[in-house]
Amino acid sequence: MAELHLFGEIEGASGFSERRLFCKWGLHAGGAWTLLAGAGAGQTQVDDPQVDDVAHWGHPLDMHLATKGLQGWPKLLLEVWHVDSWGRHGLAGYGVCAVPSAPGSHLLTCVTWSPRGSPGQRLLGPGAPRLLRPEAAASAGERFRLRTESAGTVQLRLGVLPRHLHRFGVAL
Amino acid sequence: MSAARPSDSPEAVRELPPVPSTSRTSFAELSVRQRMREKLKAARTKAEITLSQEEPSPDPRRLKGIRERKPGIRLDKMSDNEKFREMPESESHLPSKVKFCDSVKKLKGKSTLQNDFPSEEEAYNFFTFNFDAVPEKMKAGARKKNGLNEEEEVEEECVETHEDEQEEDEMDEDVCLVKDDDLFIGQTDEDLLVMKPVDCESYTEQLKREKEFLFVPSMLPVPASEKMPRNMQPRYLEDEGLYTGERPFVSQSNQNILENRILRQDQGKEWFGDDGKILALPNPIKQSSTRPPIFSLEEGIAPELETVYRKAIKMTSTNQYFVGPGDFQGLFQLDIDISGLIFTHHPCFSREHVLAAKLAQLYDQYLARKQKNLTKLLTDKLHALRSAVQYSIEGGGDGVPVAQQSIPEYKMEIRQTRRLRDTEQEKDRTLLKAIIKVWKQIKSLRDFQKFTNTPMKLYMRKEEVDRKSDEKAYEAEIQAEIKELLEECMEEYEKKMEEYKTELQDWKSWKKTQKSKKKKKKKVTHVDEESEDYDFGEERIKPIPPKMANSLEIEQQVREKADNCRRKPGEPILVPELTLSGSITPTEQCPRAEVVRREDVKKRSAFIKVLFNSKEVSRTVTRPISSDFRVHFGQIFNLQIINWPESLKLQIYETTGISSTTLLAEVFLPVPETAVLTGSAPLEEIEFSSDQRVMLDHEGVGSGVSFSFEADGSNKMTLMTSGKVSSSVSWAAGERGIPLIPPLSQQNTGIPSALKNIDAIASIGTSGLTDMKKLAKWAAEAKLDPNDPNNAALMQLIMVTTSGEAHVPDFFRLEQLQQEFNFVSDEEFNRSKRFRLLQLRNEEVPEFRNYKQVPSHEREISEKIFQDYEKRVQERDVIDSKNYLDAHRAVVANYLQKVRESVISRFLIAKHRFLLSDLVNEEEIPSLGILGLSLFKLAEPKRPLRPRRKERKKVTAQNLSDGDIKLLVNIIRAYDIPVRKPVMSKLQQPSKSSRSFNEMFAASPSAQSPPNSPDWAFNQVLVRPFVEVSFQRTVCRTTTAEGPSPCWNEELELPFRAPNGDYSTHSLQSVKDEVFINVFDEVLHDAVEDDRERGSGIHTHIERHWLGCVKIPFTTIYFQARIDGTFKVNIPPVLLGYSKEKNVGMERGYDSVRNLSEGSYITLFITIEPQLIPGESVREKMNEMLKKFDTQEDEKLLQAAEKYEAECTSKFPSRQCLTTVIDLDGKTVFITRYIKPLNPPQELLDAVPNGSQTAAELVARYVALIPFLPDSVSFAGICDLWSTSDQFLYLLAGDEEEHAVLLCNYFLGMGKKAWLIIGNAIPEGPTAYVLTLEQSQYVIWNPSTGCFYGQYDTFCPLKNVYCLISCDNIWFNMQEYDSPGRINFDISKPKHWKPFFSRSLPFPGLHSIQPEELTYEHSDKAAALELQSRIEKILKDKIMEWRPTRPTRWNRYCTSTLRNFLPLLEQNHGKDVEDDHQAELQKQLGYYRVSGFPIHMPYSEVRPLIEAVHSTRVHTIDVSNVEFALAVYVHAYPQNVLSVWIYVASLVRNR
Repeated sequence: MAELHLFGEIEGASGFSERRLFCKWGLHAGGAWTLLAGAGAGQTQVDDPQVDDVAHWGHPLDMHLATKGLQGWPKLLLEVWHVDSWGRHGLAGYGVCAVPSAPGSHLLTCVTWSPRGSPGQRLLGPGAPRLLRPEAAASAGERFRLRTESAGTVQLRLGVLPRHLHRFGVAL
Repeated sequence: MSAARPSDSPEAVRELPPVPSTSRTSFAELSVRQRMREKLKAARTKAEITLSQEEPSPDPRRLKGIRERKPGIRLDKMSDNEKFREMPESESHLPSKVKFCDSVKKLKGKSTLQNDFPSEEEAYNFFTFNFDAVPEKMKAGARKKNGLNEEEEVEEECVETHEDEQEEDEMDEDVCLVKDDDLFIGQTDEDLLVMKPVDCESYTEQLKREKEFLFVPSMLPVPASEKMPRNMQPRYLEDEGLYTGERPFVSQSNQNILENRILRQDQGKEWFGDDGKILALPNPIKQSSTRPPIFSLEEGIAPELETVYRKAIKMTSTNQYFVGPGDFQGLFQLDIDISGLIFTHHPCFSREHVLAAKLAQLYDQYLARKQKNLTKLLTDKLHALRSAVQYSIEGGGDGVPVAQQSIPEYKMEIRQTRRLRDTEQEKDRTLLKAIIKVWKQIKSLRDFQKFTNTPMKLYMRKEEVDRKSDEKAYEAEIQAEIKELLEECMEEYEKKMEEYKTELQDWKSWKKTQKSKKKKKKKVTHVDEESEDYDFGEERIKPIPPKMANSLEIEQQVREKADNCRRKPGEPILVPELTLSGSITPTEQCPRAEVVRREDVKKRSAFIKVLFNSKEVSRTVTRPISSDFRVHFGQIFNLQIINWPESLKLQIYETTGISSTTLLAEVFLPVPETAVLTGSAPLEEIEFSSDQRVMLDHEGVGSGVSFSFEADGSNKMTLMTSGKVSSSVSWAAGERGIPLIPPLSQQNTGIPSALKNIDAIASIGTSGLTDMKKLAKWAAEAKLDPNDPNNAALMQLIMVTTSGEAHVPDFFRLEQLQQEFNFVSDEEFNRSKRFRLLQLRNEEVPEFRNYKQVPSHEREISEKIFQDYEKRVQERDVIDSKNYLDAHRAVVANYLQKVRESVISRFLIAKHRFLLSDLVNEEEIPSLGILGLSLFKLAEPKRPLRPRRKERKKVTAQNLSDGDIKLLVNIIRAYDIPVRKPVMSKLQQPSKSSRSFNEMFAASPSAQSPPNSPDWAFNQVLVRPFVEVSFQRTVCRTTTAEGPSPCWNEELELPFRAPNGDYSTHSLQSVKDEVFINVFDEVLHDAVEDDRERGSGIHTHIERHWLGCVKIPFTTIYFQARIDGTFKVNIPPVLLGYSKEKNVGMERGYDSVRNLSEGSYITLFITIEPQLIPGESVREKMNEMLKKFDTQEDEKLLQAAEKYEAECTSKFPSRQCLTTVIDLDGKTVFITRYIKPLNPPQELLDAVPNGSQTAAELVARYVALIPFLPDSVSFAGICDLWSTSDQFLYLLAGDEEEHAVLLCNYFLGMGKKAWLIIGNAIPEGPTAYVLTLEQSQYVIWNPSTGCFYGQYDTFCPLKNVYCLISCDNIWFNMQEYDSPGRINFDISKPKHWKPFFSRSLPFPGLHSIQPEELTYEHSDKAAALELQSRIEKILKDKIMEWRPTRPTRWNRYCTSTLRNFLPLLEQNHGKDVEDDHQAELQKQLGYYRVSGFPIHMPYSEVRPLIEAVHSTRVHTIDVSNVEFALAVYVHAYPQNVLSVWIYVASLVRNR
């Protein structure tokens, strides 16, 4: 019966080697969590910075969750994509960002990584390998199979507003 | 540099010192010489030892090398420091040399046996080789400081063989040092440079050198003694039965090498365990590999990743305080009675209180003692014993041996009893004394402080005794005692005498030693004796015969004692009595400090918490502490428990004032025995005390603070807060007196059982798989160490295996432990109204779509909110036939509803997807030309008389609220309003039904001109029409104009309210409201009753007669943004009392335009203020999406269609090009598949000759009779769904497309040339019409009304033509204009019409999705009749309902007449029968003024009929004697298509 209201924004990203970035995001939570209102997934616009390599999105997030248990505390799965000059989309990085468990406003930095292709694939150009199921990026299992390289970071600002959690002995 | 070359290798040695010597530098502080000596000695001995030990070694040379090298290295190490070097060298060399020589000589003796060992000479040569280079080096002057050291090392190395050499070296050094001074003077190139061949060191030499600084540990086993600390025996834990894991396998030689190496190190022994082995973990290998395994991605899930299902269990008994569901035996009850609290000391005690408490305590003691009365008891016992002894002595003559024997026992007992009695008596007496003393203290204190604090009063009651008898008893007692004591002493004496005699004999033999021993012994014995005997024994210390006891002395002692502990004879017995009868000094009379104390006490209160198993379960009320420091609670707590209590505890709290609460003490209550039941449990007083230190600033003495009663402050005492709680704990008795006590077995269920339950496997009792049993067998055979933690899992498994049953994982569970950790159950979660409301709102369920604010608390949401929604959900499948009166239609409506819902839910998601244009409002950059134009406009002169239309700003729907939007209706004028007919007038008009098409569209108007009578123009009665616009229950009306062609030019403003206040595009598109524009005639009647009043006042009665209406759906206005045009007013075919004006004068001027007009027309301008952006893009997008969704069309065809559409829209973006549509299943279908010749109902064709115009009209009428259901309302903003004709006929509902397709198919089936027109019409908007070619004329049919128009008809509602569709092609309008009057319909010209299938893409022969033939059900006349009567009844009820204040009278005669007219109207299709009616009615109802009209509607359901009747406002007639007539006629056509006629009339009796 406890509720968690998340609101904030995906501010932007920096440190990516590519320009013209956009970000797909999705909320991942355990089975005990229910999304009462708001979008649980989305995609930002493509930001094409003219000056430096910082992409600004300012993409609003607003999710109202209800939960009957603590398992599977919500996480945000971020996929950063880039668009090349021919309009082709390519993956720039995956990142997972746990929603802070403390009430209040939080400035989060989510580091990202992208799967590293075989030498042959890398020779071919921007078509990098992607995860078959991007949800795998949010789960802990079987990650050891991946060979990855680090990508840039995504900045988020998240406000966390828990409600009634204390009724169930959860002090935040 | 070659000069530096020789010094290279030794330098390297120094920089990289061998391991064993690394820590030696710490010794540097010691005297170097001393150290040297020690080391050399150690080295020598070591060398000796190792030599003796390692004699069998195959390679002694190497060993020797090691030993030899050692000292040298150490020296080298030392020589790091220059200062050190100077002093020791000269002195230390000699002894060290000698020692070295010794050791080396020994070595030499052995080593010479080996051939390959370098000889002394060789070694010398080797070392001196470098020396030879030195002088040259010195000459070169490039010798470094380090060089010195190297040389010394070398010296040391070779010292054993060449002592003389040493001297030389020393000399060399000196030379070198001297030379250094003038090192750089007079140098030339020759001096500095020298050519030398490249030094090359042979490999063997290199090896030799390496040997010097490399340590190679031996492979030989190390003796155990070296590995162990001194004097320690190896201890083998395994032998002692402890578990030592199995070590990893290391080969013995490797182990030896390691041991040897470690031993060299400092504290090397730390690495060895008690058993002399290197300490090792049982298994140092990590369980899982850190390095990720390489998986080939093709293979499936590895076996180790497979999962096993474990059934979820509730962890019930993990805590022993909870009883699992299995062994729940009900609640047990423990009653805790807390009656009160008494403080024996409290910080607020005054001195008097302290004393009083003491007194009370003493008194309590006294009472307790008195109750027991031990003294009396013992005295009695003593008497009894004495008499018994007396008796046995006296009766000794009887010769009873038993009695004789028991006399000494009796005497012993007498002695003990007497002793006990004496102590008790003493205690009694001291207690009494103490009581008296304390009382005296209290009294003096009270006198001193001049007030009384306690009600304590002690009375001493004196019990007078008979002095004589008392004295006598006293004396007797003393005498008896003395006698006994004497006896005792005698016995003692005799015993002692015997002892003495034997002792004396002994003493005689060993005089000296005996004496001291005896003394000791006696002393020991005397300590045990009574004190009286002490001096007696003292005398006997000497080895003289013991003395006879002195009776006098004994008497004296006895008397003394009696004085002390006994009441004196004749003294009265004092009985103290403590009462609380004393009066306490009132507060006013007390001094200041005391007042403060009393007030402080008043502020204090106490309460007690009851803790069960250390958890607070209840607490008493807070009661103030009374002035005598007692608190009464008197509360009984019933604890309902389910398990045996662990602990019961009371916590005593004291509160001071309002806020502070302090825990005074904790008292543990014993858990009662099972026999202790409520009612029988006595109150027990449990003492408590607190070690709190409290200091008070008033009279109170405080706690833990020392104070004194004496004036000088001596005799201090410190008291702690203490008190007593009186309480009782008992088990409650349940019904029928059964005690509610947990079973005793539970008492023992401690941790073991809990542990057992915690283990999930154990409690489930899993697995009896065969391989498990094998495993268990193997484990038993292998004798696994059960204590090994590594085996723990296996052992547990085996234990389980032997007991459990089979268990096969048959399903997999995601989110393990989810249920166990849930806060709330799923049911409770789903019950939350708030969450449900939020979710439903988010899902945009119609009922909650625009719910504004969801309350934050559950309780604020009423259950009623969901009622409507739940009802709707429940009734989704229930067919409600009440509203439909027709089972078939009810089913259809239900089906439609379902289709609607499925479609809506399918596209709900897509609705949220936005195109760029939805989000970004991109203003076009004005081009230069536009800029110039606007600049030009600025310069233009203002012309106020010629206003221009300004482009209004469009408003996005988001920021709107109620009242922001207004609907503007501008009613300009009307034409041909029916005029009132003079009552007696009779006009014959030619029937138009026989006219041919040619006649109709012929330019010559002659046929239509009615025969004019000259008096017609003068006879006519004026009509006074006005227009009333109603929208969303708001009604506005214009002023009344006059004449059949009135001109109002009025703007009416109607507010618009969106449903639920939702102004989103989606919501606005689904607004179902219609704008009703009704034309009324205002009729004034003379209401004057009496002619005489006519002169003094005007009494008129206003009646309104409905003439006709125009309905425009709001969605049309919304999509069109504005509606501007002339509309045909829907006028009933018969208007009683009215006729169409046929003005002669007008006939001439306008006939070319108006000759075809039969109805009345009204010119309107409707718009919305402010302008809203219609959400057209949504629909487009849906179509796009749907195309991708599902299709059975060929991919190439679809691509071609897309290309065609793109080409067309690029040329004419405003024209809609339709190639594919979506059918009812949501599949994309090519549009031509809908067109196919189909047979119209045979019934219709039977009546008239086939192919005739009448037949066509009849078919059109039939199609129009099928109810209209706009898609845009049902699937607002989503899409158009096209149903096939058979589906349409089955559903009996559809919009323009379905009607048009059916009509087109019928016309094709009748052999006509027909096309489907996709175009734009007013007021429908984008729509579909039918085009036929009739005898070289194109006729446009409106399928939803059944009307037809010529190509050049100005009143044709079709305004734009976009494309034509036939059964095998699509033509897109490529002409400049698109209004039907201005275009050429000749599709053979590709310049005008762009075909889809052409030569480049021939028609592939798409077969139609329409059925081969339509089959029709025959019309059911009986059902129609039944429906007719039901509708009539409903309508009559409604009219009466709308007239709640006045009676509604029904004119039966008129009704029956009207009923006769209606079938006639149906027969003539509502044309030109009015005159007959009028005449007929006039004939029959001469007295009445009749106004009425028939309404004709296709039947879908009852509600529209009621609405239609209501909108005519017949019921509003206000005349008192009005009567009504209402008749209904339902005509059934094939396939259950029903035509409904309603004739309503109002009758007012003429006077």
